Amino acid sequence: MASTKEIQNRINSIQDTMKITRAMYMMSSMKLRKARKKLEETEPFFKGTQIGLAECLAHFPDIRHIYFDNRVEDDHETVKKHGIIVFTGDKGMAGAYNHNAIKLAVDRVKGIAEGDECTLFVVGEVGRSFFMNGGYNVDENFRFSSNNPSMHRARVMAAYMIDLYNKGELDRIDVVYTKMLNSITEEVCVERLLPLKTHKFIKEQAEEIAADSEGVSKASREMKEGIKHVHSINSYEMEAISQGDTFIPFYPSVSVVLEKLVQNHFTAFCYGALVECSASEENARMMAMQSATDNAEAILHDLSIEYNRVRQAQITQEITEVIGGAKALKKKKEKKKLQNK
Amino acid sequence: MASLFNLKIVACDGVFYDGPSEMLIYPADDGEIAIMNHHEKMTGVVDIGEIRFKLEDGTWQHAIISDGLLSVYPDGGVKILAYSCEKPEDIDTFRAQEALERAQDALQQKQSYIEHQMSIANMARAMARLKGASQHK
Repeated sequence: MASTKEIQNRINSIQDTMKITRAMYMMSSMKLRKARKKLEETEPFFKGTQIGLAECLAHFPDIRHIYFDNRVEDDHETVKKHGIIVFTGDKGMAGAYNHNAIKLAVDRVKGIAEGDECTLFVVGEVGRSFFMNGGYNVDENFRFSSNNPSMHRARVMAAYMIDLYNKGELDRIDVVYTKMLNSITEEVCVERLLPLKTHKFIKEQAEEIAADSEGVSKASREMKEGIKHVHSINSYEMEAISQGDTFIPFYPSVSVVLEKLVQNHFTAFCYGALVECSASEENARMMAMQSATDNAEAILHDLSIEYNRVRQAQITQEITEVIGGAKALKKKKEKKKLQNK
Repeated sequence: MASLFNLKIVACDGVFYDGPSEMLIYPADDGEIAIMNHHEKMTGVVDIGEIRFKLEDGTWQHAIISDGLLSVYPDGGVKILAYSCEKPEDIDTFRAQEALERAQDALQQKQSYIEHQMSIANMARAMARLKGASQHK
């Protein structure tokens, strides 16, 4: 059994750690409130742009364009270059938040067809150092923090990525980000931002889902789960196409609208993902710190019991020693008395 | 009075306006375009500048908008999605002035194509804000 001194030391150190986790809990709960407010304000815009894109695509003529990756030269490409934007946090201590995002990104990298190239664009320091150390192909110039999301950062991010895409250095751009479903659950999602889905593709998928009443096919399952939309359509697109797919005029021209549509959607998505991620991160950190504090309390409880036990044992032992000593003395005295007689 | 249609303007920091309107005038690539009820279904691009829409009571509401997309629905409703949309009186002139100067500074320095485009867009936004704010004082 440990001595009282050792237990006392442990209790003190746990109390100190608990102070830190409690302070971090308070900090992240405050930040979470801020992030939540921002998320609420952004939600109509985030959702709106996705619906807007879906509606536009549902009415878009079938054309060959770089944004659909169906130009003649694109069809002849044998190697497709993938780019994955991964949103992680700047700091650790957030439970499984960073881990989940990284894991999904790694899965996606592994899932890429052989011969295709893949570059990672990582937001946040934690993911960045992970992928750099892991020997992944990380874009060095793409450096963004995930703290305090701002529209400006989203704009720079979107401009950077779209520029790479237009230069032909990327053929596919996916985003891995964490969505906050409610205050307890969060989910890592993948979404393909570029190329856009063609009208034909959406229609085919929608028909497949409509035909499949039991919802067992891959397309309808992915739509319902709502987390992976790389090879399937999402519910916005399903709804948009079900409301008719006749061609409507675009002003001033199809190409100008398409250009704007891509930029708007990309920027809005980056911003939305930044906001969602910061809220998820703070939420994850808050929960992690809460459970750390709870654990510390439980350990302290156990330790204090153990401490009392050890102390009591010590006292008991001391008393026994004193009594034993007294008894020995008494016996000695009695012996002396007998001898004197 | 002309008939009303439902106008919804969504900016990245919330819904700016959601209600009936008689006429909407927005800046496009080649000048201003007005939309009234029963407009043809379409999708268009909104430029950085000032939009105005006539409310039910006949007054004009002005707003400074950054670039975005506009769609007209079959029922005549109009939805605008833009990065930002502000009332002239809400604009922080001081901040806009600073942003303008920053953008001008950035433009003067040699820089990459993307940065150049971003600075131009930043400058256009700042100028639109300042113009809108000064006109409605």
